[in-house]
Amino acid sequence: MNARTRFILPTYVILMFTFLLAPIVIVVLAAFNAGEYLTFPPQGFSLRWFENFFASGPFMRALGFSLRLALSVTFVATVLGTLASLFVVRHARRLRDFLRLAFISPLAFPSILTGIALLIYFYAIGVGTSGGVALIVGHVLVCTPFVFISVTSVLVRFDTSIEEASRSLGAGPFTTFRRVTLPLIKGGVVSGAVLSFITSFDQFPLSLLLSGIGTTTLPVQLFDYLRFSFDPTAAAASTVSVVITVVAVILTERFVGLGSLYGDR
Amino acid sequence: MNTAASAPVQSPRDSKRTKDRRSWLLLLPGLVVLFFFFVLPYANMLYISFLTRAYDEPYYHVATLDNYVNVMTDGFNWEIIGLTFWFAIVTAAATLLLSYPVAYFMARSPARRKGALLALVLAPLLVGVVVRSYGWMILLADTGLVNQFLSWIGIGSQRLMYNQTGVWIGLIHVYMPFMVISLMNALANVDPELEKASRSLGASAWTTFWRIVWPLSLPGVAAGTVLVFVLAVSAYVIPSLLGGYNVLTAPLLIVQAVMDLFNWPLGSALAMVLFAVTVGAIAIFNRIMARAMKGVA
Repeated sequence: MNARTRFILPTYVILMFTFLLAPIVIVVLAAFNAGEYLTFPPQGFSLRWFENFFASGPFMRALGFSLRLALSVTFVATVLGTLASLFVVRHARRLRDFLRLAFISPLAFPSILTGIALLIYFYAIGVGTSGGVALIVGHVLVCTPFVFISVTSVLVRFDTSIEEASRSLGAGPFTTFRRVTLPLIKGGVVSGAVLSFITSFDQFPLSLLLSGIGTTTLPVQLFDYLRFSFDPTAAAASTVSVVITVVAVILTERFVGLGSLYGDR
Repeated sequence: MNTAASAPVQSPRDSKRTKDRRSWLLLLPGLVVLFFFFVLPYANMLYISFLTRAYDEPYYHVATLDNYVNVMTDGFNWEIIGLTFWFAIVTAAATLLLSYPVAYFMARSPARRKGALLALVLAPLLVGVVVRSYGWMILLADTGLVNQFLSWIGIGSQRLMYNQTGVWIGLIHVYMPFMVISLMNALANVDPELEKASRSLGASAWTTFWRIVWPLSLPGVAAGTVLVFVLAVSAYVIPSLLGGYNVLTAPLLIVQAVMDLFNWPLGSALAMVLFAVTVGAIAIFNRIMARAMKGVA
């Protein structure tokens, strides 16, 4: 590398990162800006858009519902994904590759098409979209693969002789799982759970198609709002959702280290 | 060892067999969900795409090919699918060009800087796509910051959203992280010593790139391109928010048929056609890439 490229490449990289992060930073700035439109220079600091947001019935209901949905989905997806991963890594023999592909496949299908397929299916079996069952099922479907992937990446590195030692020392299978296996795969389980939470909380296409009356999620509410108006109450709503995600990531970092969120160690 | 011997001992074969039988219980819940809520719904959609449209109920159980005939013979649908593919192909190409230097820089960075940059690349993925589109709406609005800047440097205000320009910017932005990560993984596997060897043997930087780095990164290029293409074909939020009502892509058309027209058989047929054409495009691309990679190996 000569001196010229040594200067050009980092400059270009900074530019691209600005491009990647700009819209997110802008949303947060707009939420705290006093004016209707974000212009340069900003019109001063204000919390009025947050007041609007927290006073808005539809936004508050959507936020509450999204949080409850994401927590239930995370619970179900974490259990399903962990169990499936334990089977595929430990017990599957000839079927291993097939099963691995099968459990990841919901991520490979466009969620807008999966949403339509589920919508039609839930009406065909007479359940419909009221009550949120279809919504939970749809979210579980796309969240479970994240748990499966992150638990598997930990499990494949883990020495089964430790478990055998525990069993041979007289511990039952359940005790062995709780006292030996679970602590060892905790990082994978927690990071899978956090990715599930974030995926469910931010999920849009499935929620748009599967939400019924009274089960509107925050992203769907935000989308509907943006189609008719443009005011920064939407920015306050976005900022709150970004903050919830950041809190989830920080909690993971505190408990298991951020590296495990990206699947390594 | 002593403890092991004193524990109740089963014949190894017996314990193995019961363990195997019980281990299926781990698999069962996941498989049930996959079968009933993934395989069956898609099979059902395929089935319904062959049924007759009805007005007093979702569909009549009368087999027909009308939906496919409608989709195939209506030029408008092909125009929409063509536009959707054009968006996806250009998005994949643009993210590839824009991401390659970034991925190269990251792959050649020391571990700590690499970790920090990786976190910054992944950060946008943790923010919902609706929020990111809204960020672009604020930036690209007629009175937004980008237009303010354009006027200030004398280019003048442009119409940047509620048209294709807005969709381009949004698609490239949203899918670029996927490309950066695919490329970075591939480039991290290209040994920097190879480049040094090539340079020390007298090859120019340009030759070294085209003869050494680029061919060895092709698997990452192929993976990233397919991933971005698939994601961009099925993008919904960006064309609807940043395109306003002026840009119609295949996912918007399908959702319209299902949600607004309540024509489930037609919507299902459209979905199946989009699906088939996408899989076909990927198959052709993979064949071309396989040939390219064989050529360099």
